[in-house]
Amino acid sequence: MKFRLLLVLMMGLSGFEAAAKETLTVLTAYPEEVVALFETAFERDNPDIDLKVLWRRHDALPYLRMPAQGGVDVYWSAALHNFLQLKQEGAWQKLAIDRTGLADNIGALPLIDPDGYYCATEIAGFGFAVNPGYLRKHGLPLPKSWQDLTDARYSGHIALPVPSKRGNFVPLMIDSILQQYGWESGWALLAEIAANAQLLPPGPAFITDIIGSGERGIAPSIDFFAASAQANGAPLQMIYPESVAYSPAHIAIAAATQHAKAARRFVNFMLSETGQKLLFHPDVRKLPVRAAVYADKPEGYFDPFKAAVSHPPVYDRNVTLQRLALDNALFELLLTEHHETAQRLWQQLRRLEAQDGGKADRRIAHIRRLLTAVPIDGKKAQDLKTQQIFMKHTRANDADAEIQANKLEQAWRAEIGDRYKEAERLLAQWER
Amino acid sequence: MPVVKLLPCLLLGTAMQAAQAENLWVAQDASREAFSRIYSKVDEEQLNQALQGRSLFQQSWVIPPAEDIEIAGLGPLYNQLSCLSCHSKNGRGQPPENPQQAMRSMLVRLSLPGQDPHGGPLPHPVYGTQLNEQGVPGVPGEGQVSVDYREERVTLPDGETISLRMPLYQFADLHYGPLDADIRFSPRVGPPVFGLGLLEAVSEKTILQLAEQGRQQGVNGHPNYVWDAERQRPAIGRFGLKANVATLQQQIAGAFIGDMGITSSLHPEENCSAVQLACQQSPSARQPELADAQLDAVLSYLRLLQVPARRNADDPVVQQGEQTFSAIGCAACHVPVLTTDDFLPLPALSGQTLHPYTDLLLHDMGEGLADRRPDFQASGREWRTPPLWGIGWIARINEHSYFLHDGRARNLTEAVLWHGGEALPARQRFAELPVGRRLALIRFLESL
Repeated sequence: MKFRLLLVLMMGLSGFEAAAKETLTVLTAYPEEVVALFETAFERDNPDIDLKVLWRRHDALPYLRMPAQGGVDVYWSAALHNFLQLKQEGAWQKLAIDRTGLADNIGALPLIDPDGYYCATEIAGFGFAVNPGYLRKHGLPLPKSWQDLTDARYSGHIALPVPSKRGNFVPLMIDSILQQYGWESGWALLAEIAANAQLLPPGPAFITDIIGSGERGIAPSIDFFAASAQANGAPLQMIYPESVAYSPAHIAIAAATQHAKAARRFVNFMLSETGQKLLFHPDVRKLPVRAAVYADKPEGYFDPFKAAVSHPPVYDRNVTLQRLALDNALFELLLTEHHETAQRLWQQLRRLEAQDGGKADRRIAHIRRLLTAVPIDGKKAQDLKTQQIFMKHTRANDADAEIQANKLEQAWRAEIGDRYKEAERLLAQWER
Repeated sequence: MPVVKLLPCLLLGTAMQAAQAENLWVAQDASREAFSRIYSKVDEEQLNQALQGRSLFQQSWVIPPAEDIEIAGLGPLYNQLSCLSCHSKNGRGQPPENPQQAMRSMLVRLSLPGQDPHGGPLPHPVYGTQLNEQGVPGVPGEGQVSVDYREERVTLPDGETISLRMPLYQFADLHYGPLDADIRFSPRVGPPVFGLGLLEAVSEKTILQLAEQGRQQGVNGHPNYVWDAERQRPAIGRFGLKANVATLQQQIAGAFIGDMGITSSLHPEENCSAVQLACQQSPSARQPELADAQLDAVLSYLRLLQVPARRNADDPVVQQGEQTFSAIGCAACHVPVLTTDDFLPLPALSGQTLHPYTDLLLHDMGEGLADRRPDFQASGREWRTPPLWGIGWIARINEHSYFLHDGRARNLTEAVLWHGGEALPARQRFAELPVGRRLALIRFLESL
């Protein structure tokens, strides 16, 4: 039973009527600053709808598997695997919206589910958050590519987040390098960047704190952290490498929704010019998927459609989504566990390579291979069974998988350790 | 693994943002993060605790049960899912602009005539002391409050006409029965949260001296003696819009349970009344949902938030406005300078000179601003003098210019003109000022 009561302060009778509203429940993992902006704007344009936001961080999938999908009408998130998994389970209904003015892809990056169950609402790019003042002070050029970060001049000036321990975007960013440069070359690149970097463990300081404070000058990052901090006044700049890798966020309508029309209005709002332009707000700074709105972008704002003309994106998250946990395990074994040793050995190696004919010397090239080799090849890394046993959920719930994963890790740890020892022995021998 | 050690200058970023040598609690930051700078001259452990508190303050909480147990506990009944919802960028919330808009950074306190055993407001037996508009799935929210405004024109002595908007509230969709005809209710927007550590470090003795000092200037501010639940004794309140909370820790824990339905060791029970059965049966997360370490972290964060620096203090117009501010009596309550005393929980707060423009006392503000909801010794016409520091930043940081406890004033001039009660003489003097001096006073406020 519902009651209505008119209560008036001293200032006379209120004659207005508050109309009954339809409640639309949206599940997301976006921060409050972002959500509140869209919530307010949507409700302003749709006063008959009361938007109720539910927030889940790591368990949106089981939440959406609850009876009646937990009462959720719309799911808006950057967690692509949830959209894929739930699509297989029949949890979405087709969007069936007018997509005029919306691209289906940017380069290799799809912006829509081929079957029409979900679509991207915005994208975010990977690149480098830099402190230009810091770089000037240290006489360092702005990096323009991931390859640039391997330059010995950047040694000690980079903060590299550890993918298994810091931020959901980091595994994707690391994997985008592996996909763009190839499995072996990508790991070699990462090994050399890590040698130049301080590795960022879990901690309460944001990447933008560390770079903004001048603790370090460069941090590989997803763009909106740095771009938003910059728009709010931090001394930061976001640098995009040529051929940017992107992480899209998607939106879907729950199959079980009782509010399909309202849900479609919300989806349409998110993709409308009004909704897309909200992404330019200093507290958001994500990249719209409606190309036309870039005509009104703030000064200096990155335009992925324009950038794609000369350097189309090659990274497609769909291809490698299953191997992220495997990537994380390898990052730990290859780079984190040997970080201090690796930094010392890389310094020695670079000294040798800088000598006349150093890079052409087969023995020196062998040492480089020892420091950059990855224990499994790209084909093995694409093996679904191998990928699955490393997944956090699988390891936690399947004892056999955990045993297999541990065995593989032990074998790889031994192999990598032997390589480092051999590299160390050869370098010591050389320097004698 | 090598750990990146945070430099003491963390979060200060640039020289521009470095704290002034003469007052390290003032952030020289002209950005939209001016309310979010952390005093950093503390040890690394304390700084990390404050940074953890920052994350918790910005965190959107989840409904239990949840895998993310450390952030689970929202509801069963609540207003918003994050501290940040009502204190965007650590600044001010805002009211709805029309009856169709929901309260997104505003809430409504409730009570019945009478007092609780400690002298505080008597909770409504069903709805408690605050209307929680939202509920977790399966638990109906308590109801909705809409606001509309009636314009009332005020003509100043020089002929200028200014329209003030009078808020009119309507409760609807009350899911747990009607509210009593004599219900007391008090709508409030979220106030800024920086500088609270400094205010906490002002001693009770100083507050009492301020009351005496005010009497000598013709105002009758008095402290609100409230119930200190931690120490189980009465104490001078200083937090909350009616100075109805004694300590910052209690203010934080009260907001977690009241606004978000998150229990803590200070509030171990969920906010469900006897008749709210679905609420009672709804699962909780771990108990308490906000662990003591998390409460300490948020406390540390809020205590360490710096205050934004004044701007344009050398501007002659601003200086004229400042003189006028004192001359017409505003500074009798909005006291420009306070000093903190020894503050053992965080010695860095001790002996600081601050410019909050408050006396932390209750004043009769007249019928126009009265909410008619007493709170301990605060009458229905009394409010604590709100600090004015940072008020000139609101438009830039919070992207609005709504002021006063319920956001009814659309700009600072309207806010001044709403003053009544003890502040009526000052308000009249403001109204009688030549337009240039009125504008100078506003420019001064904008410089804070």
